[in-house]
Amino acid sequence: MLNFSSFVQKAQQLLEPVQGLNLSESDKNPSKASLFQNQFRLPSSQHPLYEITAELTIPPTNATQGDRDRDRGYQYAGKLHLSEAFLSFSTTPSSFLQSATTSTSSIFTGQTHGGGPNGNGFTFPLCSIRRVERLHSQNFQFALSISTWNGISQDAAKEKDKKELREQRVTLQLAGSRQACERFCDGLKKGLRANVGNVAKLKKVTAECYSEYLLRPDDKKNAAPPDAGLGMLFKYPGDPKKLRDRAKMRLWAEYLRDNGRNTTLIRQPTFHKLIRVGLPNRLRGEIWELTSGSLYLRLENPTLYADTLAKFSGQESLAIDEIEKDLNRSLPEYPGFQSEEGIGRLRRVLTAYSWLNADVGYCQAMNIVVAALLIYMSEAQAFFLLSALCDRLVPGYYSTTMYGTLLDQKVFESLVERTMPILWEHLVKSDVQLSVVSLPWFLSLYINSMPLVFAFRVLDVFFVEGPKVLFQVGLAILRINGEELLDATDDGAFISVLKSYFSRLDESAHPKSENPKLRAVTKFQELMVVAFKEFSGITHSTITDLRLKNKDAVLSNIENFAKRTAIRNLGPDSKLLSNDELGALYDRFYGVLYERQQRDHIIKQEQARRAKSSRSRIAEAASEGSHSVEKGRVGLGPSTSLMDYDAFREFLAGMCKWAISDSPSTPQRDAFAEKEKSFYGSFRRSDTLLSPWGAGPEPAEHEFLQRLFQKWDTDSSSALTLQKVVSGLARIKGKRDIMGAINYFFELYDDDGDGKVDREGILRMSEALLFLSRRGLEGTLSPSNSTLTLSGDSTNGPHGDVPGQPVSERFLGSVSAFIRRCFEYADPDHPKNQDNAVQNIQQKLGSTQLDEPTTGEELANPDAFAIGDDDDDDDDEDEDDEDDLLAMDSPTGSPKAAAKKADNPPPALQLNSTEITPSKNDTEVRRRVSKAQSERANVALDPSNPLHITLPTFRMVVLADELLEHFFETSFPTSFHIIEGLQQATPTSASSLTTFSGLGIGARPAANAGAAAGASAGAGRGLRGVLDNIVTDGMRVAAEVRRRMEEAQKELEKNALAAGGPHQQHQQQGKQRGGANDEDEDDEDEDDGGFDRASTRSGKSGGAGGLSSAYHGDAERRSVRSSDRDLLTGADAEAGDEALLGSQAGTVGIEGGEGNSAGQPSASVGGGGAGKVVGVEFDG
Amino acid sequence: MADSSAPKPSSSVKLVLLGEAAVGKSSLVLRFVNNDFQENKEPTIGAAFLTQKCNLPTRTIKFEIWDTAGQERFASLAPMYYRNAQAALVVYDLTKPTSLIKAKHWVAELQRQASPGIVIALVGNKLDLTEDGTGSGGDAEDAGGEDSGDARKISTEEAKTYAEEEGLLFFETSAKTGFNVTEVFTAIANAIPETSLKTARGPGASHAAARTEEQRVNLNGPRDPNAKEGCAC
Ligand SMILES: Nc1nc2c(ncn2[C@@H]2O[C@H](COP(=O)(O)OP(=O)(O)O)[C@@H](O)[C@H]2O)c(=O)[nH]1
Ligand SMILES: [Mg+2]
Repeated sequence: MLNFSSFVQKAQQLLEPVQGLNLSESDKNPSKASLFQNQFRLPSSQHPLYEITAELTIPPTNATQGDRDRDRGYQYAGKLHLSEAFLSFSTTPSSFLQSATTSTSSIFTGQTHGGGPNGNGFTFPLCSIRRVERLHSQNFQFALSISTWNGISQDAAKEKDKKELREQRVTLQLAGSRQACERFCDGLKKGLRANVGNVAKLKKVTAECYSEYLLRPDDKKNAAPPDAGLGMLFKYPGDPKKLRDRAKMRLWAEYLRDNGRNTTLIRQPTFHKLIRVGLPNRLRGEIWELTSGSLYLRLENPTLYADTLAKFSGQESLAIDEIEKDLNRSLPEYPGFQSEEGIGRLRRVLTAYSWLNADVGYCQAMNIVVAALLIYMSEAQAFFLLSALCDRLVPGYYSTTMYGTLLDQKVFESLVERTMPILWEHLVKSDVQLSVVSLPWFLSLYINSMPLVFAFRVLDVFFVEGPKVLFQVGLAILRINGEELLDATDDGAFISVLKSYFSRLDESAHPKSENPKLRAVTKFQELMVVAFKEFSGITHSTITDLRLKNKDAVLSNIENFAKRTAIRNLGPDSKLLSNDELGALYDRFYGVLYERQQRDHIIKQEQARRAKSSRSRIAEAASEGSHSVEKGRVGLGPSTSLMDYDAFREFLAGMCKWAISDSPSTPQRDAFAEKEKSFYGSFRRSDTLLSPWGAGPEPAEHEFLQRLFQKWDTDSSSALTLQKVVSGLARIKGKRDIMGAINYFFELYDDDGDGKVDREGILRMSEALLFLSRRGLEGTLSPSNSTLTLSGDSTNGPHGDVPGQPVSERFLGSVSAFIRRCFEYADPDHPKNQDNAVQNIQQKLGSTQLDEPTTGEELANPDAFAIGDDDDDDDDEDEDDEDDLLAMDSPTGSPKAAAKKADNPPPALQLNSTEITPSKNDTEVRRRVSKAQSERANVALDPSNPLHITLPTFRMVVLADELLEHFFETSFPTSFHIIEGLQQATPTSASSLTTFSGLGIGARPAANAGAAAGASAGAGRGLRGVLDNIVTDGMRVAAEVRRRMEEAQKELEKNALAAGGPHQQHQQQGKQRGGANDEDEDDEDEDDGGFDRASTRSGKSGGAGGLSSAYHGDAERRSVRSSDRDLLTGADAEAGDEALLGSQAGTVGIEGGEGNSAGQPSASVGGGGAGKVVGVEFDG
Repeated sequence: MADSSAPKPSSSVKLVLLGEAAVGKSSLVLRFVNNDFQENKEPTIGAAFLTQKCNLPTRTIKFEIWDTAGQERFASLAPMYYRNAQAALVVYDLTKPTSLIKAKHWVAELQRQASPGIVIALVGNKLDLTEDGTGSGGDAEDAGGEDSGDARKISTEEAKTYAEEEGLLFFETSAKTGFNVTEVFTAIANAIPETSLKTARGPGASHAAARTEEQRVNLNGPRDPNAKEGCAC
């Protein structure tokens, strides 16, 4: 015997239930599921699980049907489909298998005569199926007998009543292999079992259907009929006699008796004919509900309407205000809407929907449509039908951009052009825009254009056959009035021709005809015939194709309009930027948001898909193709217009070199890819799609970015609007004024806005300066600087290139000077420290004033003391300069001076550094000691004597340095390439980095991505430690630098050893990064820890030697590039090690929630001279 | 230059009304077309279309008026209506500052996107709500309590300066009292260059703000029932 469950499994693999995508998300390649849902008008929870060719037999009807029945009853060949909660049969031969072509999945045969889009057949909710029996049949064929809960809501308490209720039973002959049949039956069995619980819902829902009342035996009709709309209270529009409402009702009663009602209704040709002649008033709502599929929405969640109202009761919204304004002008001619009853219903339905779908909210025209619905159906019914309209029947019509409306106007125009070329030409010639006339037809579904009775006839067909009906009717109107329209030459004439036509729809179409039959044909009947006969070629797929063709143009029009509007409304700050800049900013802003949403969507889909396929045993490729996901596009209406921090980083990375990560493979990405791989097996899609950053460069993570974000986020909502971005940028780029730029930068670090930046802030500023300059300075000073490299031979050899030493490199020197000066001129926080500080300052001032005039020169001199200077073969000239500088900066530059200044010996700093050893406990203790010593050494550095700089000080310090001045004047503002963006090549090449960070790191797309990640330097990370240590140990460090550098270099070479490191500290440090600024002491510890880690990583030898080797990795890399390859035999091993580290660090980074920076491998620390600074200090 | 001996030429002018919701666009049109003021009973889908004739000494202008819908989201449909328009009425509510910002946006939009020669009039409506509301005491029944005190938020100076800068006609009106309403349309009619009338929409329409006072014209429109032709499709 066959194992059923394995069949089911296989079958499930064949099917790919993808979340139904509505038009706005995907229409190029609509998923099978959405096509399936469309054809059977099922909720988006339904997926095509099984399908099989079958023959439906509807048994001979009972005696009341007289001689109409045949021996075998009615038979239809078609397809039987099973979804989670529905069993659907249709004569339309559509297939939703993965292997089926899109056209077989989207066949819509809807013509006036013949079946609607659903064809003949049924759509049974599984809970409405009472019993399925397998019939004995010949030839091993499968035949199922299905009986339903037809009429379940009639309280057939008595057995007698039950008997009166004729059981509805149909037979289905399955045509397929035995296996296929069994598979289907098994699925059906499961589905039935799963849906047993929904019978109660079914009962409740059908009880609100008028058909249940209609079919009740006369003696039981004493109960009140279900709500069939305001018409029951205020009369239905039109003359019932003229409408032949009673006759229609009788026909329907018969049809429903024979073929089931509401959920158990079977569609036969008569059904469609009955709809074409116009629905009877009391059944209209129910049939609309059924044909549109909103009945199934209601069945899915019968209390949603009441629940929504209750949930939001008493709340206010913009939509509610707008609704309120329109309540009195929604079909005011209908008496029901001159009463509180009608108005109340309208208010509640519109309000409930605006809550349910806040993206759409309320759009004028919805009031008219809902008012019309409410004449024929209950509030809950209208609520769900409105939902079906907005989501499926007229998608995008009522969205905030109304793109669906505009799109369908374009579609309509192209249909007119195609089918009535002469009229079209005339319209073009007389400059009449058709859509100004036709737009209201579509937007209000003709309800507001034709007399109500006729509009409802159009709706009858519209709900069963779909949106194409609106086009067919529109075309027919133009065709019928063609000649008169050819005489009209302006909007006014055009409109009045049509207006008068609509007012005479009930008149004879052929009043002068001899033929009385022809004379009896009304204009409306003529319209219907022309619409559905003459324009029968307009099918659902015609519309779909044209929508697709015009969509992009329509959306870009809307987007251009939205862009112009948005740019004009950006507020006064925007005036500081040029229009081109604003336009480019707008594009970048929404571009990033759009791409991120799309990426997010694809990734989620992909994950869902893989999660699913990983569950199934056979990895069946889902051939859905890439969905053209469209979310977040401005033209589509509400999507986000808020930029979060990550989006902000990505936004900046699109225009600022410095905002691009140095490590192309972020921790996030690594982790992601790894998880993906282990989880989902093989990778089908291109990785760029799945990368969290898409195809673009990966943004850097740095404290500066966070500050900038916070600064721009003026209301601290953790999200930037375009306006905030523009205002933020306007202040940087708008007023090309150096003082403004300096002030701005200062404010960035003045956290509490008290005009002071503390010690920690100074360090962070310096870090930021280095971060911002690490890819070179931009601006006019040195056009070529951005391409400089510090790596390779040029920097390795003896200082042959000194005269041409790039500005960027010199900038490192400027930054180090910046730090020193900041501390030098800092003010103490507390008055009680004043004395000390004053003393200090006075001491310093003496030399400063003397030396000040030379400062600029010296700093401009590339060979002046510079952190970035990594050359160990410094010449004497250098030394001299440095001596001057140091003398100026700090008397402790020489041991003698230090001794003079403070009682404790200069070794404080040496102590400190030597004691940072891999042995942690040891370190802690000694560090404390050393700190105390160093604090005594310099009051300014004592954390218990906090200090700060003020804006004037900051300005002075900046202006004292030519490069810094240049930086604020031009480099920084011009580093935002708003308009032209970045050329991919320039910024992504990590080799152009100029920082302490990893010199000579491989370029971005390096094959050894791990190595790149490992080697790369978060500009800030390593630097951070450098700076902290400088401070901790006093400015005297600077004085020692030169001398010790040589030693350091020697140490480096000695300790060319690779080793792993304690990565937890990475994480710790990462966490700490985000922490408060005031935790200075912790900061230090952490940062020392960071150093610890750094050193241990590269050289585990321990002790001073090991520490200095922290920088050896870098030196080594440089060496690798030079001819010294042979010297460093450990290089390869090291590289491998780093690769490993890189990925590990990446994981840690993600856990620490700190992104790249935490993951920045320590090797970066060892960049240039800075590395040596620290190395030296640890070394001593 | 029109031939003065010929019968008065008649030409139609497409005019579009733009402005924030509830500034009184529909009321202005209703006042102009029907000389009436009432709550708008007609649901406006997209835009309402109305016509009204305006007799000038030398010619008759038939305004084809597109009154655009109030809701914000309908703004993206606006290009459909101002396309080919020869005149535009950009309305703001002089008791509501944001409405002038919106009006400026529309002016910019029209200057950039509409026909080059378009005549634009900036109209500050609801003058009856201000202390100097020249029109108060007219035919309107002031039932609202809001009339007490000066609700003006946008000074005449401010708006006028802006209008001059941009070369717009400028009026302050009250649809409620009817003050200055026909004057707006007459001024527009006068400002439409003859060349533009002949070619339906030619370039070179000068914003003839200076000419507005020159010609006193009779508008038989508002009280002439034959001239009415409303359509709200
Ligand atoms: N006091 C006063 N109210 C006005 C005036 N014009 C319009 N309104 C009111 O302002 C509201 C909005 O008017 P409406 O013409 O619908 O504005 P629209 O959205 O721009 O078409 C209505 O309540 C009108 O009665 C006016 O000149 N004075
Ligand atoms: Mg209006």
